[in-house]
Amino acid sequence: MKTHDQPTATSAPDIDYRSESYRSAFSRINAIVVEGEREAHANYQAIAALLPEHADELKKLAAMEMRHLKGFQSCARNLEVTPDEEFATRFFADLHGNFERAATAGDIVTCMVIQALLIECFAIAAYNVYIPVADPFARRVTEGVVKDEYLHLNFGQQWLKQNFEAVREGIEQANAANLPLVWRMLGEVDGDTAEMRMDREAIVEDFMIAYGEALHDIGFSTREVMKMSARGLATV
Amino acid sequence: MFGLIGHLTSLPHAQSVARSLGYDEYASHDLEFWCMAPPQAVDKFTITSVTGQVIHGQYVESCFLPEMLAQGRFKTAMRKVLNAMALVQKRGIDITALGGFSSIIFENFSLEKLLNVRDITLDIRRFTTGNTHTAYILCQQAEQGAERYGIDLAHATVAVVGATGDIGSAVCRWLAERLDLKNLLLVARDQDRLANLREELGRGSVVSLEEALPRADIIIWVASMNQGLSIEPSVLRSPCLIIDGGYPKNMASTVQREGVYVLDGGMVEHSLDIDWKIMSYLNVPNPARQFFACFAESMLLEFEGLHFNFSWGRNHITPTKMEQIGVLSRKHGFRPLLESHTSDR
Repeated sequence: MKTHDQPTATSAPDIDYRSESYRSAFSRINAIVVEGEREAHANYQAIAALLPEHADELKKLAAMEMRHLKGFQSCARNLEVTPDEEFATRFFADLHGNFERAATAGDIVTCMVIQALLIECFAIAAYNVYIPVADPFARRVTEGVVKDEYLHLNFGQQWLKQNFEAVREGIEQANAANLPLVWRMLGEVDGDTAEMRMDREAIVEDFMIAYGEALHDIGFSTREVMKMSARGLATV
Repeated sequence: MFGLIGHLTSLPHAQSVARSLGYDEYASHDLEFWCMAPPQAVDKFTITSVTGQVIHGQYVESCFLPEMLAQGRFKTAMRKVLNAMALVQKRGIDITALGGFSSIIFENFSLEKLLNVRDITLDIRRFTTGNTHTAYILCQQAEQGAERYGIDLAHATVAVVGATGDIGSAVCRWLAERLDLKNLLLVARDQDRLANLREELGRGSVVSLEEALPRADIIIWVASMNQGLSIEPSVLRSPCLIIDGGYPKNMASTVQREGVYVLDGGMVEHSLDIDWKIMSYLNVPNPARQFFACFAESMLLEFEGLHFNFSWGRNHITPTKMEQIGVLSRKHGFRPLLESHTSDR
């Protein structure tokens, strides 16, 4: 039998990472994470095609996402879990469709909002909440990844900030069309995140903090940030 | 730059403030929503000292609500305070006071062991509970209030309710060391802590609330809201001075009787007007000048360039430190609030 990283004294004490129920939840959450990194890789390449002057940097970001993907795949192997890829593809379908349509139409602002703001902020929030309750192997992988995601967020943030007046309305529209999808997606995995001891309340709050900080830095007022980042949350 | 981390008194209060500020997303939602809401930097202002010095500050609303503690959502409550602290630190604020329950949470839940918030490690030296200044102001309200309302301290019995808390124990130390009272009554729930405090002070009597109320000429009330204690006005002496240092301050409306004077405890009045929006929402009588002494502590530390955690942890406040902050308080033009609600009516 293969050896595995065992929970150590620093792990959250009451989680049995090898239990049937934990591994079942992990098979969906891990698949979502892997699919998210796969789409991020493709999305940054698509944005690179729309922004040739930033193509080199965007391709570097895309390559980082591919490394993250491999890291998270190793987390599943470590727990001997087969990721539920079908579930993950369905999970991302609507957001993926919106990105594809925007990319085809050359709508860089919507592409940036979906990938560089919403997905990155959501990844940052979910990874930060996951780290304290992750198995030791996944914790190390995730700690490495989350540092990179801040860089990715920063890229989109800087680009939107430099073009703020021209893109303001586009950001608002993309936010209104896509943030409610993010809340719905989070709701769909409520049971699984609870099984993995990931506090949903904390994920939402961390997301709103990261997203709010990004919007504020881009140029929106506190009032606008509060309005935009809470968009659609009540219906969750 | 100094900071203030505050919160509102209840969900209905928070909803009405959000509505009046035009934040409809926050106004129409229930506690679940507030449990997920991030902290917001909602106000910026300048404070001028009577010395002429000017400092700048920011107010951060933590979105914490007392209902979170009442419902046992301690993790949520802690997260609110930590996230608000991370926000002020990100903004480069040098010294920040933790208002209301923010510091009570700190005292009770060892928040100082949880200092990594996402990509930020909190620098604990940049935060003060403000409790030293609050304790000093409460004692000044007792001393100056006694004179104003005709109570002779040398013949007075003073009861401290909530005596073993961080502020309560500091008040007891000051009263025991600096004033020649007839009696000092110590009231709190935890009998072990009370016995330790009595031993440390070398004076005072440990009594129940029921025993204390009919005996006290002055009651300094610093018990936190969720202790479920209350005052029956008919048993009180006349005159009786009540200094309501609890949160929220509601004794002025619940304890009404001839000869009973209620002061809003732990509140200061500044000598100059302050142009800030947020204080008008915090249920203070004259928001341009009157506010919480714990907030004033961060201003005093900013005026003096003392960017460190002057008040921290539990039961570390000495009369010497209270005097030290008191000197600064007077120097910059802050006074204890002495107007009684009762005498105004």
